[in-house]
Amino acid sequence: MHVVSNLAKSCLLATVIFWIIAGTDYMDIDMILVIFLSFIPIFFIATIVILGSIYVIFWLRVKNGFSKRQVYKTFYPYYAITAFGIAVFGIISSGFDIYIIAFFTSAFITTSQSWIWFAKEKQR
Amino acid sequence: MKHILIGIAAILFSVLFYEQHIGLNLSIFSLATIAILVFYNPKAFKNRYTIVHAILYIATAIVVFMQHSYLSIIANCVAFFTLVGAVSEDKTSIYVCWLNGLYTSIAGFFHRNFEVDDDVEKVSLKKDIDVIHLTKLIGIPLVFIVVFILLYKNGNPMFNNLVSKISFEFINMQWVLFCVLGYYLFSNISKPIIVESATSADLNTKNELVKPDDVSEEKLKKEKQLGTTLLGLLNLLIVLYIITDIASLIIGEDTSAPTLSSLVHNGIYTLIASIVIAIVIILYFFRGNLNFYSENRTLKNLTFLWIFLNIILIALIAIKNQNYITSFGLTYKRIGVHIYILLTLVGLITTFLKVLNIKNMAFLFRRNTQIAFIVLILMSAINWDQTITVYNLKHANGFDVNYLINLSNRNAILLNDKKDVLNISESDKNRISAKYRTYMITLRQRDWQEWSYENFLIEDDNSNSE
Repeated sequence: MHVVSNLAKSCLLATVIFWIIAGTDYMDIDMILVIFLSFIPIFFIATIVILGSIYVIFWLRVKNGFSKRQVYKTFYPYYAITAFGIAVFGIISSGFDIYIIAFFTSAFITTSQSWIWFAKEKQR
Repeated sequence: MKHILIGIAAILFSVLFYEQHIGLNLSIFSLATIAILVFYNPKAFKNRYTIVHAILYIATAIVVFMQHSYLSIIANCVAFFTLVGAVSEDKTSIYVCWLNGLYTSIAGFFHRNFEVDDDVEKVSLKKDIDVIHLTKLIGIPLVFIVVFILLYKNGNPMFNNLVSKISFEFINMQWVLFCVLGYYLFSNISKPIIVESATSADLNTKNELVKPDDVSEEKLKKEKQLGTTLLGLLNLLIVLYIITDIASLIIGEDTSAPTLSSLVHNGIYTLIASIVIAIVIILYFFRGNLNFYSENRTLKNLTFLWIFLNIILIALIAIKNQNYITSFGLTYKRIGVHIYILLTLVGLITTFLKVLNIKNMAFLFRRNTQIAFIVLILMSAINWDQTITVYNLKHANGFDVNYLINLSNRNAILLNDKKDVLNISESDKNRISAKYRTYMITLRQRDWQEWSYENFLIEDDNSNSE
């Protein structure tokens, strides 16, 4: 599986979504440096979440003879529902703070897209 | 045309919900949802089951407008997921409808994106218009121009002044993002999808138990003996308990609040434990082959007797709870006890039907979840704050005015109307007046999206008084 390219694309996607949402609150020229620096924590979080949840599922199931398509169809619905539940809980608990909304929205969209990138890779 | 309709719905979504509380907007959203579902899935709406769910969804939308309570909002959301799930697959159990509806609403876009065959998609896109190239052609230069404008701003004061005059503040980006969210949601539900593993498993599971070919007579006989002994003894025990309970109800004279409270609550804990264990024991013995054993008559009769005795136990708890309500008034907890009793009764009746008609566990889950859904919708249609207030003021032997004042604002008008004829202190009357005034201000400050039925009521009152 192309883990590195998946992580790189996920990191870029998460950063773009996060700043599109967070930027609606406040955006200035001085924040460009912050946006570039935010790649670092976003990369760490994306790596931990993707390797710790999505990649593990694909790795374990593909090793046991499942096709990637089967893995996606079997596990993604429950993953998406759980991730959505956590996101909604986090957003409501934070009192609809814009940065928390940006964080959870980018996390949900990025992980969902990461599932598709893993599932659509050509299987050897 | 399809995208235009979803686009209009997305703008409507933003108009309805951006920086607004729930009210009339949720009712309008429900109608928009049905319009989108009917437009994109006309075939599904020829099915009676789907039509019934659509009617239920509209009913919950009306209830949200009329009652404006959290329970009605929850019922509306559950009805939404049920309807979307029913459109995706109408032959599944209601809990699978919830799963499919939830999955469609939150991840339909990604699921469809996964299903798309990339090679076919690329060819068809090139035939029409090269969207990706067009996006790159506009997007990439735009991003770089913005970045460079921001950089040049600090280099030249004249350029800075010129750029500073350009203002996009008239565009509310959060409102635009809300539109995107609306587009995502409506696009997701326009083509409902299913969770394949759960849906196929549910469709393949019938309600009836299948008679096995190979049955060990000896093993079944032993299991029947164990079941008969256990249920026989449990029946004796529950009869003894019911006799003592009836005696204590008849003889008992102490009707102080703590005594009644303890009676009801202890009864409820007993009920919870005994009913759950009763159902588990019955399900264990009638999980498979024993249903088809020719000599299971005694065990079945003992099971029916035990279910009947548990129903008597439920009736006793209901009587105690009603006595409690008559003496000390209605509260949410006491209503909750009655609803719990109702649901337990339903659980026992469906267990009885399962044993009688040789059904499986799926039958129990299906029937019980269906009934729970109907109970939720019916309960959401009642203004409980108003009901509690009316009952306590008219019928209860005693009531706690503090409790009534601390309920939500939905009883504010009623309390204010009655405050002068009630035997309560001046400070309580002032608190009721303050609650009423606050509620009136809240009602008048609402935007049209947040309106409820009470907004129209006060409008009528105002026009009558003028």
